[in-house]
Amino acid sequence: MTAQAERELETETETMTVREAVRQALREELERDEDVYLMGEDVGLFGGVLEVTSGLYDEFGAERVRDTPISEAGFMGAATGAAATGTRPVVELMFSDFAGVSMEQIMNQMAKMRYMFGGKAEMPVTVRTTEGGGMGAASQHSGTIHTWIAHFPGLKAVAPGTAASAKGLTKAAIRSNDPVFVFENKMIYEQEGAVPTDEEFTIPLGEAAVEREGEDVTVVATQRLVGESLQTAESLAETGVEAEVIDPRSLYPLDTETIVESVRKTGRLIVADESPLSYGTHAEIIARVQEEAFFSLDAPIQRVGTPDTHMPFSTPLEQEVLPDGDDVREAIERVT
Amino acid sequence: MLTIRAFDTEAGDRFADGEIPGFVHLYIGEEAVGVGTCAALEDDDYIASTHRGHGHCIAKGLDPKYMMAELYGRAEGYCNGKGGSMHIADVDAGMLGANGIVGAGPPMATGAALSIDYQDRDQVAVGFLGDGAVAQGQVHEAINLAATWDLPAIFVVENNHYGEGTPVEKQHNVDNLSDTAQAHDIPGLTVDGMDITAVAEAVGEARARARAGDGPTLVEAETYRYRGHYEGDEEPYRDDDEIERWQDRDAIDSFKRRLIDRGELTAEEFDDLEREVEAEIEAAVEFAQNADPPAPHEAYDDMFAETPPEIERFATAARTTTDGGERIEESRSSSEPRSDGGRSGGERR
Amino acid sequence: MPRVGLVVNPAAGRDIRRLTGGASVVDDYAKRRVADCVLEGLTAVADPPSVRLMPDRSGIADHVLAEAPDELEAEALEIPLERSAADTRRAAAQFREDGVDAVVVLGGDGTTRDVAVEIGSVPVVSVSTGTNNVVPSAVDGTVAGVAAALVATGTVPAADVVERHGRIEARAETPNGEKRLVALAAAEVSSRSFIGSRALLEPDDLVGGVVSRAHPGDIGLPAVAGALESVSPDDPGGVLLRLTDPEDAPRTARAALAPGVVATVGIESVERIGPDDPVRFAVPDGVVGADGERELELTDATVEFRVRADGPRLVDVDATLSAGSGAGAFALEAADGPPASED
Repeated sequence: MTAQAERELETETETMTVREAVRQALREELERDEDVYLMGEDVGLFGGVLEVTSGLYDEFGAERVRDTPISEAGFMGAATGAAATGTRPVVELMFSDFAGVSMEQIMNQMAKMRYMFGGKAEMPVTVRTTEGGGMGAASQHSGTIHTWIAHFPGLKAVAPGTAASAKGLTKAAIRSNDPVFVFENKMIYEQEGAVPTDEEFTIPLGEAAVEREGEDVTVVATQRLVGESLQTAESLAETGVEAEVIDPRSLYPLDTETIVESVRKTGRLIVADESPLSYGTHAEIIARVQEEAFFSLDAPIQRVGTPDTHMPFSTPLEQEVLPDGDDVREAIERVT
Repeated sequence: MLTIRAFDTEAGDRFADGEIPGFVHLYIGEEAVGVGTCAALEDDDYIASTHRGHGHCIAKGLDPKYMMAELYGRAEGYCNGKGGSMHIADVDAGMLGANGIVGAGPPMATGAALSIDYQDRDQVAVGFLGDGAVAQGQVHEAINLAATWDLPAIFVVENNHYGEGTPVEKQHNVDNLSDTAQAHDIPGLTVDGMDITAVAEAVGEARARARAGDGPTLVEAETYRYRGHYEGDEEPYRDDDEIERWQDRDAIDSFKRRLIDRGELTAEEFDDLEREVEAEIEAAVEFAQNADPPAPHEAYDDMFAETPPEIERFATAARTTTDGGERIEESRSSSEPRSDGGRSGGERR
Repeated sequence: MPRVGLVVNPAAGRDIRRLTGGASVVDDYAKRRVADCVLEGLTAVADPPSVRLMPDRSGIADHVLAEAPDELEAEALEIPLERSAADTRRAAAQFREDGVDAVVVLGGDGTTRDVAVEIGSVPVVSVSTGTNNVVPSAVDGTVAGVAAALVATGTVPAADVVERHGRIEARAETPNGEKRLVALAAAEVSSRSFIGSRALLEPDDLVGGVVSRAHPGDIGLPAVAGALESVSPDDPGGVLLRLTDPEDAPRTARAALAPGVVATVGIESVERIGPDDPVRFAVPDGVVGADGERELELTDATVEFRVRADGPRLVDVDATLSAGSGAGAFALEAADGPPASED
């Protein structure tokens, strides 16, 4: 889809939360394609984790909104087999930490089948999962694993930061014939935004969005940190620093070009992503920028992320390790 | 069964000669299980195989020629040389792949059965697994899901009595592996895996049950692999007497004798058949030996339905450095690293 | 010291009738528990017999020996194992050679038949843990153990409580020579071409056969015969049945053909046959079965059946216990007599 077409589709919008945007995307895709169905723990009658799929069971019934046993390896494997044989499962993995239980299915089957079989298997499977700290859910329900998935060959990963991208990315993921993971930060489900109502609205995988234009510094932010970076940018504008905020939206493929173009303009880069700093998403974005725009850089690149700890339970501990808008502000101040 | 034995005998020899790289796990001795199972299936039914998958492929109707080409790593192999022995697949033929992970077949079969059930198709999906795989959690998760949703799946346990080099009784507290079906409230039964008629009949009944909407069945077939776990296995875990005892019950010999007794086959016809099969396998080897290896840039094909720029850049570079895609034997056999496909840093111009 | 042999068939009760019929599964754990009960039952008599177990590679015998009551001398036989019916036959032969005084068999008709082939005149307590259970009785393992102890120790004379079960010999003449088979309760002729999964699956495939006993409470061909005739297990001779399509049959019978399978069978003819009377079936293409399991593939063959009287000596468990009670085996006096009065 051309940028022009995307803009046209975006003309009519409705204000809704990220949660509603994901739900609307699921609803529209369930209506559009009979081969699409949802499966996961308590996605049906219960309404899904954090109520994202609430109501869809009543609308579409038990065949299309399928409650699974608590059996991540079983249903992730079944979704893989189903995707290879003509249907388009959309799996909900309650918390991304639970990928540990199903990683075999993800890394050795889902990611590798098409390649190992010389292209003889389709793999139109979508995995939606929640990530992030901030609600005192502690280490096994607050992790961010999108780096693993974006790192692993054969998988695509998206991570919406706005309601609009939540809808557009979810729909694009479901329509893709590749395995796509949608990483939903659980702290932004209540965040509102203008969401295009057109049922053909999708966001192509691998296209970043410039959420705010600025001349002085580029902030590449994901998920919850998109909104917090925008707020930081607004407050910094009062001090005369204009930050450009880019939501990559898609982690793999990654829209290197949009980021590089921005850095060429600003000469400064902050990468803000709620994930452990070592060997991470930050590093990948930074590596690509230095490959393509090393000589445009005017200051050391800054990273904002979680330290290499797990997510602690107690609020003061959790707040200590969670990155936020203030961390982004400090990072900007270090280089401007 | 003859084709499988000839194919795997040849594959073992070619591996020993160094012509076939990687690992090969031979199905010799277990032929009646794969052939008996597939004989009870319809052409469009699915099977999900194991690391010991050559027999399943042939039983499902895959062409030994392209299988052998895959073992040789050729471009014309079933997986264009990307899979090798452990990953031969042909989804259109209902073969969901050999699999290098022990216990991976059942989840795949449950998934295929889910598609079948969801789209109300008149098919079933068979997940093969070895005795060793019965200890894998994913196997039980797959059976539980299929059982809970009454999916048209059949789980065929090929009990060859050794999980790699460890005897079955040292790996499972349950001796009769079909007993595990009880935990999932589905029928489980044990048949003589050295008798093709036993396997076919059991799987046929299981298929009828699956198609009637009554859910999955677990069929344990007791069999034996004559060769090591993989080619080159020294087999310190068993003795010749044991191998001979099983060979006395050889599936091919006994079925041949029975057909001859029944007057449905003569010894001469059998010999002709054997010669025919040997010729077919010889031709397959010749085909594989003479087939082109894949061009280096094909390493970048088939990662995704929609290739992202991250991969495309390597593919483009490789296409350029390998003379527009011409297959070059030297580049494959060379131990030197290939020319850099733009992997180093620095701004690209 | 009197000795009891114990055979636990690890493979019994696993066939396709779990899928096609209503047969239940007796898993190894359950078999082990039954075997534990048998050993406990042996201790019911004052001087319990020693016990020897058939070994197996499933760990059943090992577990049972580990759990054996302290007062019991228990050990496993030393025989080579093949994980097949040959193990049972070899154990039975060993028991006979060693001169054990009674044998307890946990299995179904198939296991009991394998034991019967080798056991000679040793009394057999046959307990059902298999599929087709015409011959074995559905008794508790403990009670079976008590009965075995009573017989083995001579507390109850074996002659009073055993009955000689019949057996059926089948001899097939085929273009490729002679083939033989032995059954205990029934030898069936099926029109199926192959042994396949062994169990006789389809009532329509049954052509007929010979039974050594007939009662509606049996399973399979003896139940069909039992709809029309009554023959005790120790009656001499048996019944010859020739079956046909129920639509064309002069008469039909409803019978339990397998666990969970009741069918209408068309009866062409039914006749009592005397001991050792030969009866013949022409088998152009079919299988001869023994006790509900297809065993012998035949083409262009004639098979001759004879009911013989010299089957296994089966212990009647109820009768044994009654006799034991009558002999005062269980009513013990206090060791030092009643407590003395103090006054």
